[in-house]
Amino acid sequence: MTLAGFAPRAALVAALLVSGLPGAARAQAAPAAMPTGTLPGGVSYELRPDATQSATAIALWYRAPAGGFGEPAIPGFSALAADTVAASAGLTGTSLGELVDGFGGVLSVAVYPDSVSVTAVVPPERASAVVRAMTGAYFAPVVTDDGFQVGLRETGQDALVRSFDPSDAIENALGASLFATGPLHDGTIPAAGAFKGIDAAQVRTFAERAFRPSNAILVLTGAVDAGVLSGVANRPEVSTAGSEPPAPQTAQPSPRPSAAPIVANATGVGLGWVGPPIADEESATALDFLADALFAPHTGLVTRAVADRKVSVSGKFVTYHSAGVFLVTLSGDDVPAAVPIVEQTIARAVKPLAPAAFAAAKAGFVYRLLGDMETPGEIADTYGWYAVEGDAAYAPAEGGTAGRYFALADALTPQSVARVAARYLGGAPATVTLIKAQTKASPT
Amino acid sequence: MIRPFAVLAAALVLVAPVTATAALPAPGGATVVDLGDARAYVEPDATVALTGLELFVRAGLDRQEDRQNGLAALVAQSVLRTPVDGVPLADAVEARGGSVTFAVAAQYARFYLEARPEQIGPLADLVARALHAPSFDPATLAAARRELGDRIADAQSDPRLVGLDMLRGSYYRDGAGAPALGTPQTLLALGTADAAAFYAHWYVRGDAFVTAVGRTGPADESGSRALVDALAPGNAPDGALAIRPLTAQPKRLVTHRDDVYSPYVVIGFEAPALGDRDFPAALVIRAILSDLFKQDQATVRPFVFRPIGSIYGYDADPAQLALWLNGSEVEPQVGLAALDALVKAAAEKPLEAAVLARYRQRARGEWALESLSLDERAWSIGNAVAHGLNADASAQVGAAIDEVTAADVERVAKKWFQRFDVALVLPRGDGG
Repeated sequence: MTLAGFAPRAALVAALLVSGLPGAARAQAAPAAMPTGTLPGGVSYELRPDATQSATAIALWYRAPAGGFGEPAIPGFSALAADTVAASAGLTGTSLGELVDGFGGVLSVAVYPDSVSVTAVVPPERASAVVRAMTGAYFAPVVTDDGFQVGLRETGQDALVRSFDPSDAIENALGASLFATGPLHDGTIPAAGAFKGIDAAQVRTFAERAFRPSNAILVLTGAVDAGVLSGVANRPEVSTAGSEPPAPQTAQPSPRPSAAPIVANATGVGLGWVGPPIADEESATALDFLADALFAPHTGLVTRAVADRKVSVSGKFVTYHSAGVFLVTLSGDDVPAAVPIVEQTIARAVKPLAPAAFAAAKAGFVYRLLGDMETPGEIADTYGWYAVEGDAAYAPAEGGTAGRYFALADALTPQSVARVAARYLGGAPATVTLIKAQTKASPT
Repeated sequence: MIRPFAVLAAALVLVAPVTATAALPAPGGATVVDLGDARAYVEPDATVALTGLELFVRAGLDRQEDRQNGLAALVAQSVLRTPVDGVPLADAVEARGGSVTFAVAAQYARFYLEARPEQIGPLADLVARALHAPSFDPATLAAARRELGDRIADAQSDPRLVGLDMLRGSYYRDGAGAPALGTPQTLLALGTADAAAFYAHWYVRGDAFVTAVGRTGPADESGSRALVDALAPGNAPDGALAIRPLTAQPKRLVTHRDDVYSPYVVIGFEAPALGDRDFPAALVIRAILSDLFKQDQATVRPFVFRPIGSIYGYDADPAQLALWLNGSEVEPQVGLAALDALVKAAAEKPLEAAVLARYRQRARGEWALESLSLDERAWSIGNAVAHGLNADASAQVGAAIDEVTAADVERVAKKWFQRFDVALVLPRGDGG
């Protein structure tokens, strides 16, 4: 095994590797008891214990564009870096991926347009070791040749799976129709061969910038206590660099229907609207609610409107720092017939729902949201997402049903939702159509 | 790169130093509530916002007779389709901010209701109304068949589940070995009279119990009582699952499928059930077998890119452990031969201490991650109770894994893992 470019980084790596050992000299000074805070090295953290859980989730979230910091953007580059670091064994000889796997845990990397997350779900007695290893691995990223090859393979596999998923593929394509520049425009799914010519040094350069402690949000949920924070690695060399600023998103001047169908692995149609930024919490909550009211399984207005069609329809509002997006995807044999039904049903949302229907939709919305926050991993995702987008206090998991998010949800009225719908969904959507490549007709 | 079997068996080392176990409070134990003819087992968790109630009814697959394949599922699905206030029960529950689902297993059918604490009582009453007077009219049955058909189609597109169905059919006798949801053809043959008779015979409260998890309170007790009281009084005769003993020569089952794109080999072992003293050691053996052919990896892989995996059906007694080999990642004959060699080796000499420690650690971790969501936690308690065990039995397995010795592994490998059946799930034609 060789360490790609290890020598020039030897000092940095040596300073950090102590984090993988008990009693690390460079570990953060003292455990903090507050649920939210910043450690001396600049790492932000969210600590939400639940001792009744049988597992612990340890997540690192980073604000970093999926396409990398340079031009042109290479979709999925952040995932390649995160996978490579997880697969690279430093001086301890054990990669983070091997460590978590050996504990019987699960390690996953998730890539989003403007952020990337690494989450380990492990038995509680392994939480300390994983916190040390994960922060050590990412705060001073080692990139080995073997790790780089594993990263290439896994990022490619994940991209392939996502490219065949209609929702993922359509949402990825919608970004370019909605935004002229920025991470959503660039997307997260790399095309086949997109990493050709990329070398381990480029990955390491990205990882050292993106995964530095001051850009990290460490989320700890499930059966865990504050003591594990004392094992968080430090990186004094760059700890004052601060976090990455939110990437600007430039919306297309007008909604852009795709000029021609896009040839892809999945087929379907996507509709998209630009929504409010996360700072407009009231509007963002209203669109979350509306997406659920329209697309909930069985009872959603759109779901029921197309129930007799051979079509799968989904919709959601995604909250981002700069501008959120309301995304609708349709796939299946009856898409052409279903599109106008979906558009008409959404258009009617600019009128207030009847009180009884609104109350039922709200009860369902609150339930489904709470149902998405049951496991340590799900709760960590919620905190990570809202923290990385710049508004951790607005995370639905914060404070439970008495928290800020659910207070805003509770305050929604048919009229307020209709107003937000009129403002953000009243215009024509951006649209994309994905088709599969034509297969050559057989001469016989 | 593929780690060869020989290297794995000969030179296993700990991947990391074992650190001291953190002092954390153990998950809370379940309390038992007397509901009259039945019991509820309650495990509160005040940090979550929802409550889950799961009703277990002794109306699983083994209650089906010849030519009744799919009846247990059709009856359960029909309960969810039963009109309540003019709409199907599942929709009525969803419209009030909750969800209700069902599953059928070898011995039990179970209905899982989840909602906010203030809604759990009223929603349990809705479910109770459907249980008290389920609809099996032709329209309800037709809708239930359609919904089951979608689930069957999903399952049939997964080669692992196709192989598992084949092995279950070979291993369990009678109804317990039938496909859990039936087939579109067998469902069509079942009608109102079949469903009504099955329900009347097996949906009785004497064999039922409820588990309650999450943010529990007085409402879940009254809700549990409503669910149980909705069933007819009485007990039905219990019976052990009958199996066909595995033979020294593996039985080979083969199927060709249109929607399968690479060959899968699924190997079925008779395995100890939860509560069996061999169960913890079997979990260690599962961890060892599942590590065979594992590639260097950063993150958990989608199953289509994994060479091997396992499905442990410990909800039945006797249980079945199935291992699947992905033919696109490992050559099937090579995989099968390696697996056979490994189980034989495990039965012939004890594991080295370091190897045992490594796989105990992995098995314990995998067990801790088995039951995280509310419905999984409700099922975990119920599965223990269904086996006649203490409701906390599942929570005690982790500690038992730590006590597994090399001699235990050798003994359990010899007793349970030397005979197996093989299912081959192959692409039709030239595959994809």
